[in-house]
Amino acid sequence: MKPSRIIALFKREMLDVIRDKKTIVMMVLIPVLLYPLMIVGMALIMNAIVSNTAENTYRVAFDNVFYTDEAKSRVKDELCDILTGDETDYTVRIIPTEEGKDCAGMLEEDLIDAYISAGEGGTYNICYYNARDLSAKAADIIRDAFEIYSRNLTKEMINLSGLPADEVLNPISFEKNDLSTAEESMGSMLGYYLPFMIITAILLGAVYPSIDVTAGEKERGTLETMLTLPVTNLELIISKFLAVSVIAVVSALLNILSMGGAVIFLVLTSVRMGGDSGLNINFATFVPGILFTLLVMVFFALLVAAVCMCSSAFAKSFKEANNYATPVLLLFMFASMSAMIPNIEFTRETAAIPVVNVSLMIKSLFAFKYDYGCFFIVLVTNALYAALAVIVLAKLYKTEDILFSESFHSVRLFTARRDMKGGGLPGLGDAVLLCAVTLVVVLYAGNFATVRFGFGGVVFQQLVIMIFPCIYAWYIKSDKKTLFLLKRPQIRELAGGLLLEISAYIAAFMLSAVLIPLFEDSASNFEDMEELLTGAPDIAVILAVALLPAIGEELFFRGFLMGTFRNQAVLQKRNTRDFKTGAFIVILTTVIFAAYHMSLLRFFTVGVVGLAATFVTYYTGSIFTGMLMHFINNLVSVLLSLYPDTMTRLFPFMSDETLSLTETAYLIPIALICCILGLFLLRAFPLGRQTRNRQ
Amino acid sequence: MIKAENLSKTFERSVIAPETGRSKRETFFAVKNVSLSAEEGEIVGLLGPNGAGKTTLLRMLGSLMTPDEGIIKISTGNGDIITDPVERKAHIGYLSGNTKLYGRLTAREMMRSLSEIYGMKKENADARIEEICEIMDMSKFIDNRIEKLSTGQSQRVSIARTLIHDPEIYIFDEPTLGLDIISAQAIVSFMKSQKGRGKTVMYSTHYLEEAQFLCDRVLVLYDGSVIKSGTPSDLIEKYGGENLRQAFFEIISLYEGGKL
Repeated sequence: MKPSRIIALFKREMLDVIRDKKTIVMMVLIPVLLYPLMIVGMALIMNAIVSNTAENTYRVAFDNVFYTDEAKSRVKDELCDILTGDETDYTVRIIPTEEGKDCAGMLEEDLIDAYISAGEGGTYNICYYNARDLSAKAADIIRDAFEIYSRNLTKEMINLSGLPADEVLNPISFEKNDLSTAEESMGSMLGYYLPFMIITAILLGAVYPSIDVTAGEKERGTLETMLTLPVTNLELIISKFLAVSVIAVVSALLNILSMGGAVIFLVLTSVRMGGDSGLNINFATFVPGILFTLLVMVFFALLVAAVCMCSSAFAKSFKEANNYATPVLLLFMFASMSAMIPNIEFTRETAAIPVVNVSLMIKSLFAFKYDYGCFFIVLVTNALYAALAVIVLAKLYKTEDILFSESFHSVRLFTARRDMKGGGLPGLGDAVLLCAVTLVVVLYAGNFATVRFGFGGVVFQQLVIMIFPCIYAWYIKSDKKTLFLLKRPQIRELAGGLLLEISAYIAAFMLSAVLIPLFEDSASNFEDMEELLTGAPDIAVILAVALLPAIGEELFFRGFLMGTFRNQAVLQKRNTRDFKTGAFIVILTTVIFAAYHMSLLRFFTVGVVGLAATFVTYYTGSIFTGMLMHFINNLVSVLLSLYPDTMTRLFPFMSDETLSLTETAYLIPIALICCILGLFLLRAFPLGRQTRNRQ
Repeated sequence: MIKAENLSKTFERSVIAPETGRSKRETFFAVKNVSLSAEEGEIVGLLGPNGAGKTTLLRMLGSLMTPDEGIIKISTGNGDIITDPVERKAHIGYLSGNTKLYGRLTAREMMRSLSEIYGMKKENADARIEEICEIMDMSKFIDNRIEKLSTGQSQRVSIARTLIHDPEIYIFDEPTLGLDIISAQAIVSFMKSQKGRGKTVMYSTHYLEEAQFLCDRVLVLYDGSVIKSGTPSDLIEKYGGENLRQAFFEIISLYEGGKL
């Protein structure tokens, strides 16, 4: 790596980016013009609204009753006095009701802005159209008048009873007294809004150039020219990364200067107009905070630049890169709002969380809390994460592959179905996407459905897991047989799987006996579900808890997910019968499967059973062996809860969740024997030597 | 001088299997076990139909692509042998239809920033740019943005780009494709002049008259392999006909008939 080459590349990137009109517009024009326009424009509009209120004349009418009924007529006169009194800062004109027309009609024809009608006894209605500005305002004015009138009446009544009205109405008096200095109030307000604004500004500044220097360069065809130059991938990535960082910082600075300028303009104009200026604030107290904010902005820009480049580097086109950048943007903006959540404190732990730490640090700076230890952690972690991202990117970013490799589809879902070639297999990106979507749907919709519909919800949850990969496989026109391992198993393989399942069940049982005291949790798969299932016929419970998951979860995890991993291994020209490759895929699938169960204790117990099922499915290449194992596993648990007496008589060790020494003594040999026999039947023994032919 | 031994490169492609009608992926050799060399002051032409592997071969020689197998060596004027792919690029001027220019920069700016990447001193670089401007007759548009130039002008800038570091080896992938006669002639005479200065030129073309006139040696590629090589006059003599075009057709049809 030559620094001189990086500098030369960096200079070229900068020149290229700065020459781009779109970048200049995004970076300079938008912030410099938009904020002042927005802020000043808002101020002007507010001003106009205020002055309008004062200038307008509101037309108010009283219903006919007020003219015929004597008591009501008095109310009308009182209200008219208040409405048209000298103390108001608006003008109200009382419109007499015209012959042959009621107030509602006049209001409809816009001859009046609001009217008052009387109901039974002391109830009155203020009728208006909320959609008309003047009407809504007139209604407010009338309501205020009623309040004054009502208070006057109260006073009168109290006076009549001989009590001192003021004392009865206000027996005590109190006031809110803000002891914070003007600087503190302003700082707290800045600390609330600034993090979000700064982080968003840096993001917006970084996204466009990062797409431009990666996907943009590819699209323009200059990446191949780059490839003719004596530079390494790392040098190329670092120079691009530096250019994006610089632009992100500059654009963030411009944003903030422009925002600050607009605010100062507002303050100054309000001073001239004689308003409360807030100029008794000593701005010097903010200087250290601002300096630190600038510092952290630079470090954060490094991180943002690195992350944005990671998201756009592998896109084939500008458009695709934009698609990838959107979720990153949303995620960052969401995290940046953490300063607005009151309970999150700026500690050594939160100081290490990306994005959140920057948000909290800026907030704490403007609250005049200087914890230098935490600041240091924020700066170092930002720099570290950025460096890590750049190194990973440089490792993954093989210019050559990006330019010339055709099999560069990680997410196939972004292609329209009619363009799918058929027989395709999902990419890694698809697997991640589908996992995330399914998990979210199962967690939210599934749990909601379970709570709402009980038994039906349980079924729904399983159907979701089952249907998602199927829809996906249909969409990409995949080769379903290969993807889901739909191969008829041999009897020998099924028997081997069953034996392994027995040993895995025993192992999981023993493991949970050890772990339960540690986690103080229950290992039961469906303890929380039992309540829902009471009342349902036994056969339905067995179907819902044992059979459906065996099909759905197997299709998803052992089928779709493992199929994708194995397919990736094939694409990378690895031998899938190789022990290392196989072990990696099996363990990865098992870990995801176990983690999906969302419990630390069950992560281990489900992990053991899942490992056995994954191994057997991978080894036999048939999803049905996995389904059988899964079914048996769940079936035993269901039967145990449905018929506890029969089951514990058959299998005494299941009577409670602990194991005695004698039970352990005979369970271990049984598990071992089953395991060895099972492996033998699968012809996986001795391990590693594989004689079975895969079709 | 550039020398390559046993170069191979495979790619993946999806094909429709006739029996099932489904597509499946298969790997195939774009370049298969090719050895070649080009000396100083020599122009070597690569001929062959589309898909024969010319571009892949040239990309590997230019270090744009890493071969799956094989070794590439170049020796510089002072006798150093270089095998490192990144270092090799410092001695090669590579040009193809896909090496686009930085449209937002002017030709002068682009050459200047390339000279910095090549690690040239500023005074040397400026002098070199003036010299190239003279050679390629670019003085009228050297300070215009490249995106504003005409096809012929930008082709001249493209060549100028490969000259900036005064490489010993030129690798051109179909440099005259789609150009008018005058521009194409300028490139042909440029290659001739470089040969005169003792440079090595390797290039691919579909214009056989041009190759006959220009090349000291030609290699005929077919399905990733070199099926014939020799001087144009040798090939014409051996495979009959009056010119390289006829000899080329004869070689291809002999090969396809399995008689070569």
